[in-house]
Amino acid sequence: MTFISIEFLLFFAIIVFTYYLIPHRLRWILLLVASYVFYAILSIQFIPLLLTSTAFTYFTGIIIEKQETKKQKKKVMLVGISVLLFFLGWFKYFNFVNDSLRAMAKYIDWNYTIPYQEIVLPLAISFYTFQAVSYLVDIYYGKQKAERHYGYFSVFFAFFPQLVAGPIERAKKLLPQLKGEHSLNYENLNYGMKRIAWGFFKKTLIADRLAPIVSSVYDSPNPTGSQIVLATILFSIQLFADFSACSDIAIGCARMLGINLTENFKQPHFAVSISDFWSRWHITLSTWLRDYIFFPLCKGKKKRSEIYLAIVITFLVSGIWHGAAWTFVLWGFIHGFYRVFGDATKSFRESIASFIHLDRSPVLHKWVKITITFLLVCFSRVFFRSDTVAQAFENAKLFLTISSWSPLGIVKAFEIFPLLDLVIFIFFYIIVQLFQYIERNNVSTWKFLSKHSIFTRFAFYIFLILSVLVFGVSGNGFVYGGF
Amino acid sequence: MMRNIEKYRNAFINALDLEEDEVCEDLALGVTREWDSIGHMTLISEVEDVFDVSIDSEWITEFNSYQSGMELLKRLGVDFINE
Repeated sequence: MTFISIEFLLFFAIIVFTYYLIPHRLRWILLLVASYVFYAILSIQFIPLLLTSTAFTYFTGIIIEKQETKKQKKKVMLVGISVLLFFLGWFKYFNFVNDSLRAMAKYIDWNYTIPYQEIVLPLAISFYTFQAVSYLVDIYYGKQKAERHYGYFSVFFAFFPQLVAGPIERAKKLLPQLKGEHSLNYENLNYGMKRIAWGFFKKTLIADRLAPIVSSVYDSPNPTGSQIVLATILFSIQLFADFSACSDIAIGCARMLGINLTENFKQPHFAVSISDFWSRWHITLSTWLRDYIFFPLCKGKKKRSEIYLAIVITFLVSGIWHGAAWTFVLWGFIHGFYRVFGDATKSFRESIASFIHLDRSPVLHKWVKITITFLLVCFSRVFFRSDTVAQAFENAKLFLTISSWSPLGIVKAFEIFPLLDLVIFIFFYIIVQLFQYIERNNVSTWKFLSKHSIFTRFAFYIFLILSVLVFGVSGNGFVYGGF
Repeated sequence: MMRNIEKYRNAFINALDLEEDEVCEDLALGVTREWDSIGHMTLISEVEDVFDVSIDSEWITEFNSYQSGMELLKRLGVDFINE
């Protein structure tokens, strides 16, 4: 049962109905049962790990709080984080380290005998581990009280709308909301349903329609350069549609239960720089990395070079968090490099913009920056999407070859699209862009619609639903669900 | 002995490589080229060193102007008035 299914909608409708029917004191039980049922349907074999991690984090939080000295608190926190990271490391990184050691052993003629292990990645482990780590760190710093109610804590740990692919929430924000009494609110139900519908729209009409087309190029043994360029740009659109749809559905579901989750995206493909991109893309992960990796690494650092190193390390952590493969490490490194290079050359770039008088037309200047940032992000995604390092370098070479960008070649590359799929994609992509255009003018599209007549609004809602039902394609879950 | 307000101004001069007359009460993160997100981290380290305080992650983002930095330091026990 993924988000994109009738089963999920029915399941969620029953939860919402029951949630508002039962008294507040019983609601945590409903949410907990719903969360475990949802997780069990997706990945029953890892329920014990989820339960163990929950119990472990719960008790570690209390033990941290009970320590008398800062030093003792720190010790317990570090032990707690190490155990959580051990679970993550074992399931997610064992084979990555094992394979890397084997490859190195082969290179230096060392007899390495540990074979490949069949280890399945537990669903959502990267997300709930980060949420648990932030909980323990916040208790250590005194920003968060250790939760004593085991039920509410378990719901915080496994809250089903955001369990599988975030947003990664902080206890300080989510726990009080889970404990708060929410009465049936028309606005929340209305907004939540629209966000869910919009998530379905982006996922089934953009992301899952593009997925096989992108795969047809990336899985092809000898794609042309122009095909790689086109497929990579399409992959960027697919990834955004896929992940933001997942966040939309999570936010929409939570809102229907009276809970506000953190927004995870702010039109990242309209960022004017790489740092701007990271303040708009997967915001809850970016702020997590900033608060728990980057800021601690910067403690006491006064030289720019030291801050640069902290940036690169933070992006490497981001890369490895995404996936246990060198392609993700390289992807992280590329973003770290972009960020450092961007900062080191800021004055130079500004003087060039001034020299060619680009800074005299702010709108043009902004769109040049948006285009360059988008292309840089696309280039990094060659590594994100490729299956192996060798393939990634091959594809990156093709992406950077000037002839790959010839307009004729790109037009020819559109042959990867069946004509009907192309027309459908372009039509719905324009709808998404219109939606984003309205929001770029600081108006919520839903509020914009609410100013129109009931006929216009309902025509749009019916259009959304019918589009999903008639043209929607449902693929294999969400890309970030695999992390 | 240097007063706290002077130490505070000097922290900006040293960390962000500013001239003395560039440090004013209107100074804010992102407004000048020097006080960007990376300069911000060196400024935080400098302020922590100068006043022997620890600024945690939540406050790092709150410290986004000359004025808000002073407010934050006051909360951490730095006296800018009765010293």
